[in-house]
Amino acid sequence: MNAVDMAGSSGNFHFIMQFIIILVKIVVLISVTLLHVMYATYFERKVIGHMQVRLGPMRTGPHGILQPIADGLKSFFKEDIIPAQADKPVFMLAPIIFTFAAMSALAVIPFSFGDWYVIANINVGLLYVLAMSSLGAYGVVMAGWSSNSKYSFLGGLRASAQVISYEVCMGMSLIGVILMAGSMNLTDIVKAQQQHWYGMFLIPQFLGYFVFVVAAFAETNRTPFDLPEAESELVAGYFVEYSGMRFALYYMSEYIGMLIMSSMAAICFMGGWTLPPFITGAVPILSAVPGIIWFLGKVYFHIFLFYWIRATVPRYRYDQLMALGWKVLLPLALLNIVVTSIVKFFVG
Amino acid sequence: MGINNFAKKVFLLEILKGMALTFRMMFAKPVTRQYPEEKREMFPGFRGLHALARKEDGTARCVGCGLCAAVCPSRCISVYTSEGDDHTKIVDRYEIEVLRCVYCGFCVEACPFKAVALTGHYEYSDYSRAVLFMDKDKLLANWDKYMAGKKGEEYFKRFWRPMSEDFKAHEDQAVFMGNRGKIEGAAPDKTTHSPEGLSNAA
Repeated sequence: MNAVDMAGSSGNFHFIMQFIIILVKIVVLISVTLLHVMYATYFERKVIGHMQVRLGPMRTGPHGILQPIADGLKSFFKEDIIPAQADKPVFMLAPIIFTFAAMSALAVIPFSFGDWYVIANINVGLLYVLAMSSLGAYGVVMAGWSSNSKYSFLGGLRASAQVISYEVCMGMSLIGVILMAGSMNLTDIVKAQQQHWYGMFLIPQFLGYFVFVVAAFAETNRTPFDLPEAESELVAGYFVEYSGMRFALYYMSEYIGMLIMSSMAAICFMGGWTLPPFITGAVPILSAVPGIIWFLGKVYFHIFLFYWIRATVPRYRYDQLMALGWKVLLPLALLNIVVTSIVKFFVG
Repeated sequence: MGINNFAKKVFLLEILKGMALTFRMMFAKPVTRQYPEEKREMFPGFRGLHALARKEDGTARCVGCGLCAAVCPSRCISVYTSEGDDHTKIVDRYEIEVLRCVYCGFCVEACPFKAVALTGHYEYSDYSRAVLFMDKDKLLANWDKYMAGKKGEEYFKRFWRPMSEDFKAHEDQAVFMGNRGKIEGAAPDKTTHSPEGLSNAA
């Protein structure tokens, strides 16, 4: 056995170990995310219930705490119906694409400091997340088209128009952050925020944050931009014809989308897993708290914001939606880019 | 657009106000009633499950005149009678098909003997139709269960005054007493056209 072989086998071993570690990480990440999704549905119903002076689920377990498990079991054992007139292969592929796009975006999100807390620490992380969220639009369009139902079709049409319009605003709003951080690596963006005394891009980039949050609502098809799945007019929008597990896949992926958008807001504008230096300077004990807690707190805040807005604001009309996207948010985002560039050019 | 309105629009004042409201409401006490545990008390006079009233001696007040069955718009009451030994009417069967009833209360109103009642009980859903087909015994049992004692008397007094209490018998026909019996010659009657009355008015 010569040296080359030794190096080769240890290289193989190293590769296999890396592979297994990544697999384990993926399994852990997906199970934690799915748990979050389950309880995001539960807390959505609870929070909105209480905001509407109701109680929300109360029957399954104490205060309805087992409701998401009951819902999951129900949708798992439900009959899977494919409409006779549907385009079968596309119909079956659409939810898989949607779920795939939603879940893949999780790969680049850093939950805390260090490589251990991110599956793929790549330099185009931010771009990758945007790409995956627009890939999800294919799942929507395919579902709308293949169901062969007018409600699905209208929902799919609206969704594609809306997602494309707001993708632009979202990308533009993040350019300010990219300019300030000088990187598209999500970990580097968080580190760049630590360089400033305020520790959050939220403060200089408040315009970008506003545009990002509004665009995130539109991207995830949440109220007030839930036209693609407007329950009162399109029943459920593009996934009307889906039932059982396929329906659950759509439902789940929408919540994963919400989690991803919240994580992006937390990472790009709120300093991810870090606290602003002026706070940790004042109360040093806070820096002993694990970063993932701050990160989750920021994500939960944004998830709560999603619920809160849903309980408050009614749905926009289609033309209002387009006007807001193209005539308000896009100019604001462009203004933000110009101001950020000028300040960066002169201040450094 | 004034500067005020402009500022309102830019800072999304209306939306923020709405959000403040929903946030406050989140801590308000929910109005939900947890039904099977937390039951609402029925108002007196609620029109629920049917019952046949009993006399003091324990027999049914119903004489079998059939007015309730005649007035019933959903035709869910059927009364079968036969002639007894001393030419009295005997109620053989008195049946109410509860599932067909619309709870209008006409039967109670029509009854001249305060014999049929609608109780405050409303939780009687069941898996079979047979349970909800009420014969005379079941209806009498309902009276004992939900209307016995003072409650039943109050029920008729407050909500279903029989007509006989508001009318008095004239020599040849019934005359309305106007609930308080005011007619007895007190107020001038508009319908009488006396020549004096006319001249007085002029």
